[in-house]
Amino acid sequence: MVDTETFVPDAIDEIRAEIGNANAVIALSGGVDSSVAAALAYEAIGDQLTPVYVDTGLMRKGETAGIRDTFDYMDSLRIVDAKDRFLDALAGVTDPEAKREIIGEQFIREFEREATESDADYLVQGTIYPDRIESEGGIKSHHNVGGLPDVVDFDGIVEPVRDLYKDEVRDVARHLDLEEVVAERMPFPGPGLAVRVIGEVTDEKLEVARHACHVVEDELEEYDPWQALAAVIGKATGVKGDNRVHGWVVSVRSVESRDGMTARAQEIDWETLQRIQSRITGQNDNVARVVYDVTHKPPATIEYE
Amino acid sequence: MTKIVVVDNHGQFTHLERRALRDLGVDTELIDNDTPPEEIDADGVVLSGGPDMDRIGASAEYLEADVPVLGICLGMQLIAEELGGRVEDGDYGGYADVTVELVDADDPLTGRLHPETRVWASHADEVVELPDGFERTATSDVCGIEAMSDTDRDLYGVQWHPEVAHTEEGDAIFENFRDICEAA
Repeated sequence: MVDTETFVPDAIDEIRAEIGNANAVIALSGGVDSSVAAALAYEAIGDQLTPVYVDTGLMRKGETAGIRDTFDYMDSLRIVDAKDRFLDALAGVTDPEAKREIIGEQFIREFEREATESDADYLVQGTIYPDRIESEGGIKSHHNVGGLPDVVDFDGIVEPVRDLYKDEVRDVARHLDLEEVVAERMPFPGPGLAVRVIGEVTDEKLEVARHACHVVEDELEEYDPWQALAAVIGKATGVKGDNRVHGWVVSVRSVESRDGMTARAQEIDWETLQRIQSRITGQNDNVARVVYDVTHKPPATIEYE
Repeated sequence: MTKIVVVDNHGQFTHLERRALRDLGVDTELIDNDTPPEEIDADGVVLSGGPDMDRIGASAEYLEADVPVLGICLGMQLIAEELGGRVEDGDYGGYADVTVELVDADDPLTGRLHPETRVWASHADEVVELPDGFERTATSDVCGIEAMSDTDRDLYGVQWHPEVAHTEEGDAIFENFRDICEAA
């Protein structure tokens, strides 16, 4: 395990030595990895660092407001509202890898503009050790690894947590007194809610996924899951108030894990599952049924796409 | 310091094998499976899992390198295939939770886990015939040969993934393999 007492000062020294008096940017996703990388870099070089948060419209409920609060202490923070541009780019696209690719490309476009405006010579990234390996293996594309350096001509890339595993990054976050929400928060995929709606990304499906994810996180807090989520996986019939509906099927998933590499579906009591079902179908007219996913990883992955 | 390298056959969990060894205090690194054995100076070799027998690079050459070898998942299957055993598509894939029965309490790699242990697995293929010189050391309901050992040549294989967090007693396999490497 990482020794945070020595890791933190060493990382800050290394960042300072590498960047010196130049400017740097970092893309802040709100996840633990980029939050820790940003906090370390800000500690090292202060407002020479421009943290950029792009609101893709694919974020969870309250996420953007949360980022604003947590990183309020960084005067140089920029928040970009890019929801319409992302949804336009995703219109009509159903292939999972194509969705990821489009989100990655749009993200690069947004970020490139901000990086140029902030006159940055260095790029700071929250890449962790498994990101490097998984990208090489080609299981899923990680948009925080590739892409950016090809379009922006940086003098260098700084990856302060590149040798750490997720649980170790969380230890560092706790050591840095980043608010509990960051240190303990569940992993959230880079492409956001787009991978929690199967098929085309539409405003309607995103609204359902956003609300359902909120209900699931709220109801399952006591189970202390590594990750708990809801995904819109298709359509099925239902009957609501004597009317037949052809509505969305929402799948609820809650897993325990150390590092996300393997995961066990959690055993949730019936009453809690029923409360989740009732809140999701009761507050979303267009949801016909709610199911619980009992599959471990492997053979399933944690997220749906 | 004891050095054990992990030969990367493009498995999803390969980096966790490096981590398990690192956490044991062993000097370790991940190496590309095209690396010729003569370029590596190590006391032991782990052949990782992976998706495809056609992408095992120079893995088989490590069986001749005269240091202990531990094959994990595809790593075990390639040892079997290379040395005259047989691998086939199993009737029943092993995914996630599997209860494994250890059949040899004296085996240096798996004996300590006797009589049974809960592991995490992820495989469709399995070893159906042992190569000469090997003993079956573990079995389960979903896979006849869950582990095999040739203690004379210090070649070992496990079909499950001792490196993942959900395998109980996974660390014991790496500790035992470290001890085997130090005694060799």
